[in-house]
Amino acid sequence: MLGYHLKLIGRSLRQRPTHAMLIVLGIALGVAVATAFSAIRHSFAKDPIPEKSSTLHYVRIDSWDLSSYWETVPSQLTYIDAMAIMRSDIPVRKSAMFRAELNVVPEPGKTTASREAARLCFGDFFTMFNVPFEYGKGWDRSADEARDPVVVLSKELNDRIFGGSNSVGKLLHIEDRDFRVVGVLARWSPSIRYYDLVSGRSQSPPESMFVPFNFAGPMQIRPVGSQSSWKPPSGPGYEPEMFTGEKIWLQMWVELPTADKVVAFRSFLDAYVIDQKKVGRLRRPANNQVTPLLDWMAERHSVPPETTVMMIVALLFLSVCAMNLMGLLMAKFLARAPRIGVLRALGAQRWDIFVLHLLECEIVALTGGAIGFVLAWGALFGVNNYVKSMFRRADLFQMDWTMVLFAVVASLVAGLMAGLYPAYRVCRVSPSVYLKLQ
Amino acid sequence: MLKMSRVKKIYRTSLVETHAISDLTLHIEAGEFVAVMGPSGSGKTSFLNIAGLLDTFSEGQYLLDGRDVSHLSDAEMSRIRNEKIGFVFQSFNLIPDLDVFDNVDVPLRYRRLPRAERKDRIERSLEEVGLQSRMHHLPSQLSGGQQQRVAIARVLAGDPKLILADEPTGNLDSLMTGEILDLLERANEQGATIVMVTHGVECAARAHRRIHILDGRVVAAEPISSPTAVHDISFEAATA
Repeated sequence: MLGYHLKLIGRSLRQRPTHAMLIVLGIALGVAVATAFSAIRHSFAKDPIPEKSSTLHYVRIDSWDLSSYWETVPSQLTYIDAMAIMRSDIPVRKSAMFRAELNVVPEPGKTTASREAARLCFGDFFTMFNVPFEYGKGWDRSADEARDPVVVLSKELNDRIFGGSNSVGKLLHIEDRDFRVVGVLARWSPSIRYYDLVSGRSQSPPESMFVPFNFAGPMQIRPVGSQSSWKPPSGPGYEPEMFTGEKIWLQMWVELPTADKVVAFRSFLDAYVIDQKKVGRLRRPANNQVTPLLDWMAERHSVPPETTVMMIVALLFLSVCAMNLMGLLMAKFLARAPRIGVLRALGAQRWDIFVLHLLECEIVALTGGAIGFVLAWGALFGVNNYVKSMFRRADLFQMDWTMVLFAVVASLVAGLMAGLYPAYRVCRVSPSVYLKLQ
Repeated sequence: MLKMSRVKKIYRTSLVETHAISDLTLHIEAGEFVAVMGPSGSGKTSFLNIAGLLDTFSEGQYLLDGRDVSHLSDAEMSRIRNEKIGFVFQSFNLIPDLDVFDNVDVPLRYRRLPRAERKDRIERSLEEVGLQSRMHHLPSQLSGGQQQRVAIARVLAGDPKLILADEPTGNLDSLMTGEILDLLERANEQGATIVMVTHGVECAARAHRRIHILDGRVVAAEPISSPTAVHDISFEAATA
């Protein structure tokens, strides 16, 4: 019967196309607004690395002093604590890291320097976060230990400096020394810079280049973004301030693929803190945090609350559109009363009539939903351009299959809201009443 | 075929009670061709709606083909309408955006018959009414008489035991009227019971007997022609 119903609906829609088009546009408008605002929220809320997000853990240790007024554990680590974790064999991958800005001179003596965002990290970073490469690859642990002067470039920086060619093996002058390019990233633009929810805007794109962490000391590279300390440095200079003092400035990620690994790592941290207390550090009660990525995102409020409010308002708008269309559908269905009377006289049950009309609502709603989705896509394009200067990227908000599914479900629900009552009403009236209208 | 006992249809509002059918008692045998007559507002159409299970009634009992249909569910009534009853209306009641073939197909679709059987029935019934060449015309491309023939083809395709015709020739000229009555007569000869509401005496003359309804009651029933067609009619004339 489904095929027959679809045939009847097709004929019916062709009979009054303007009326059908009005309903389609009403749903399209509602779905467009709902989908666009939901996509904005979804860009912040979605799992950025679903294949392994549960294994990635952000590590914190309460390194505040007893005199510190902060109640919560600091969001970053000291160098001492980060390096202690880097020495642990429990995580299958691990990386301390920080964001910086470095001068890059493509051709020393010929071109001027440009200031580029950089991330100083360990080689595990690329595998740990499944970073995609267009050319080459990241560096390995031996390069970290040997302090090889290597660099990985973003696609954008490689396009700017090397015209998009395969630059692996070429030298790039950064600050005061040459680095050898070992990898160029493919396009990589997670909506949230989820590996660093501490420094600056988390919606900013990933850095332009990635430099081995062990060059931080020799090049005296300071972080850009959040850093704090409860204790003045023991002396002047970079090392006493950043490496041996209590400055909190490093993000620390570990990959723990099993529950046993998580338990073992927590035990390791507990033991480490006890040891540190013996030497007079970490004097507050132990409060070690090993937080899975999605929990960390929630804790850092990576979804701005205003996007949730906007999404709720947009869904209410869709509901209002659907409720308004209810009247239009009621008029449309009742105008078709004689035809329904004939179908009932010829053997159609109430259920057949109900399904026929609800199906028509859903077909119209899905058509509206498809148009609405395209409109929402256009709207996101506009919003991305509007916020381009704010976030230095034009692809912050993106559509994905989740949003396609959202648009389909939103359309179906809107169709149901708009059509349920008219379909119910039209199937309940006695066929003899319909036939009198002939 | 059709036996109604003290059937009432009452429309109630907060102020008045309107008796569309009052104590209607009637018995129509299988194979009869009955003309139902009466002035406008006498209850003919209400009777036909109840007889065709298009409307419910307030009191009484109605046996259709031996089955009490007084308290059936909508699904059961729909199935009986689909399988046992055929309707012919004054205004044809074809679906305007379906072509002739698809219009005749409607009751067969709801009977969930296989495609090949539906096609066979449709072609045979259209041939019977002489419209096989107009199979893919829309109703608006046909004359009134042709549209009514399509409506009859729709009935014949379903092969119902009971055909209810509500002034089937009311919108037709005399030539077409004759053709439509011929088709109904032929259906009757093939075994269908026919109950036809009509104002026309000439039309009624084609029936085996006439039933007169007034104020929702049967007031008279008279045989018309052949004695074999006259049955033992039990009716309670409410003429007192």
